[in-house]
Amino acid sequence: MNPYDRVTGLFWLLLSAFICIESLHLGVGTLQTPGMGFMAFCLSVLLGILSLALFLKTIFKKEKGEFSSTFSGTLWKRVLIVVIALIIYAVFMPKVGYLISTFLLMGFLFWVVKGTKWWLALVYSLLTTIITYYCFSVWLRLEFPEGLFRL
Amino acid sequence: MGIFDNVLTGFQICLDPNNLLFCFIGVVIGTLVGVLPGIGPIGAISLLLPTTMRATPVSSIIMLAGIYYGAMYGGSTTSILVNIPGEAASIVTCIDGYQMARQGRAGPALGIAAWGSFIAGTLSVVGLMLVSVPLANAALRFGPPEYFALMCVGLIVLTYLAQRSILKATIMAVVGLFLGNVGLDVVTSLPRFTFGIDELSDGIGIAPMAMGLFGIAEILENLEQSLEAREIFQTRISNLWPSLKDWAEAKWAILRGTIIGFVLGILPGGGAILSSFVSYAVEKKVSRHPERFGKGAIEGVAGPESANNSATGSCMIPLLSLGIPPNIIMAMLFAALVVHGIQPGPLLIKDHPDIFWGVIASMYVGNIFLLALNLPLIGIWVKVLRIPYRILFPLILFFCIIGAYSINNSTFDLYVMIFFGVLGYLFRKFGYEGAPLVMAYVLGPIFEQSLRQSLLISGGSFMIFFTRPISGIAMGVCFLLILSNMFPYIKKYRQRYEEFEE
Repeated sequence: MNPYDRVTGLFWLLLSAFICIESLHLGVGTLQTPGMGFMAFCLSVLLGILSLALFLKTIFKKEKGEFSSTFSGTLWKRVLIVVIALIIYAVFMPKVGYLISTFLLMGFLFWVVKGTKWWLALVYSLLTTIITYYCFSVWLRLEFPEGLFRL
Repeated sequence: MGIFDNVLTGFQICLDPNNLLFCFIGVVIGTLVGVLPGIGPIGAISLLLPTTMRATPVSSIIMLAGIYYGAMYGGSTTSILVNIPGEAASIVTCIDGYQMARQGRAGPALGIAAWGSFIAGTLSVVGLMLVSVPLANAALRFGPPEYFALMCVGLIVLTYLAQRSILKATIMAVVGLFLGNVGLDVVTSLPRFTFGIDELSDGIGIAPMAMGLFGIAEILENLEQSLEAREIFQTRISNLWPSLKDWAEAKWAILRGTIIGFVLGILPGGGAILSSFVSYAVEKKVSRHPERFGKGAIEGVAGPESANNSATGSCMIPLLSLGIPPNIIMAMLFAALVVHGIQPGPLLIKDHPDIFWGVIASMYVGNIFLLALNLPLIGIWVKVLRIPYRILFPLILFFCIIGAYSINNSTFDLYVMIFFGVLGYLFRKFGYEGAPLVMAYVLGPIFEQSLRQSLLISGGSFMIFFTRPISGIAMGVCFLLILSNMFPYIKKYRQRYEEFEE
């Protein structure tokens, strides 16, 4: 059993309560004429029962895993850094433009895992950005944002 | 038109240079993702789904199907040479394939895997051709209750066959069905669960969702481990043509694998992964020398590799003739068809014969391409294996970004992909599987529509699902599956109670 089951069980329970309330707002209707929220209401009840079962299972079953075992010993910080980089890219790409933002993101991604020299990461990044730009933008005619610098 | 005329039409469509190119690209990408352990066919299909939107529906499906059966071929290479399965359906190939390589028999192992895959893949396409048309004709008589019941069976079997907890897989399926509710209501066309976000009116995009859950999540999971270079078994790959002795040992395994793969591929929740495991178990059971298994038995490579390729053909039967995807990859093909405005189902063969027969013919051609790609060019794929992951992962990540962005030229799809990527990563950490969620999400709108229509027809009575023969049988299967799952728990608790009483 995963040590986080109790937490995820509670999360699903809260989600089911939220869906239930929202579906009631939408209108459940009757069995003869089901409304917009009918399906969501049924699903919220089912999700509630299942999450409760998961939660209760963690209470009645003796926990085998340690609470910290899922993330300990892993390079989770690297995962977090990459996710933040992706979010920054998504936010700034329309403003800065495709070429500059992609060059910076790729340079960072090639560099983030140890083993690639910084100048080599920049070369890889430059090549990737230029090749993909010509491939997708010029050849396949996908539209990418030009951004502030019209690049 | 007779079946041969249809096949000829299919070949005419498939041999069109454009479609032929798409078929070739599909099988090459399939082999590539099969070889590379970092990304599987689900990730690759979701990644390439947006790019197919500009192509014709036939070309798109030909390419996406090519990725699937191509990955089954490519997966065996890493299993045999590196002892790491390139994709899940090749896990069992590692057991005897790697042992054969260690004994200097990498060539015959790769050869029999490729030939077994070719024979099984081709026979399975013949089966697909023969079974789909009568099944589609029968399915024309299906109404909303039958569809609802069949989808229930599909979803229950999928959660039942979950690799981890069944309870968690069921939760995932329910969440997937709920996510299918986001967007415009199927009956009133009014928005629901959109929270004022205009982009959500059309629902959550299947491509960014799948790319996040399978592509990004996979990369994030790999990133948290130290990315050391893989060690490839240093051996000279020769004698790719198996000897007569090898053929004699493997021929029945290939045939059995083909049948097992074909039958399990049709069943909901089945597919390549399950059939490869079952085939290995069967081969070990029927073998006169089961002690050879795990030590380099050629049947242990031939059987599962044939089974997983056979399943790729047969799992198209429920998709193309009933409109019900039996597994996650078929759910992605389902989404690809819907994106092009084509509703998979019994009318597909009648209304869009070009797609049905074109795809079938492309599978014959694709299997020949794969044989040529995987035997003489094996050296290239071995070289691909040597590309370090630190170079590969930024490229995969980047293609996910381009794929998600190019759907609507909007950064909203990028946010959706990143969101589902993080969610998928956390799901993996907490023991949840993404496949039931995506499968339920794809089925969600039809599931809801058929439930609501059934209730309207019956005047609110759920008995409609039990009084009609096909839906009644399907619902019976559902209850049997649920009961069979609960039975061991009941037995265990009764035992405990009796012990306590004593």
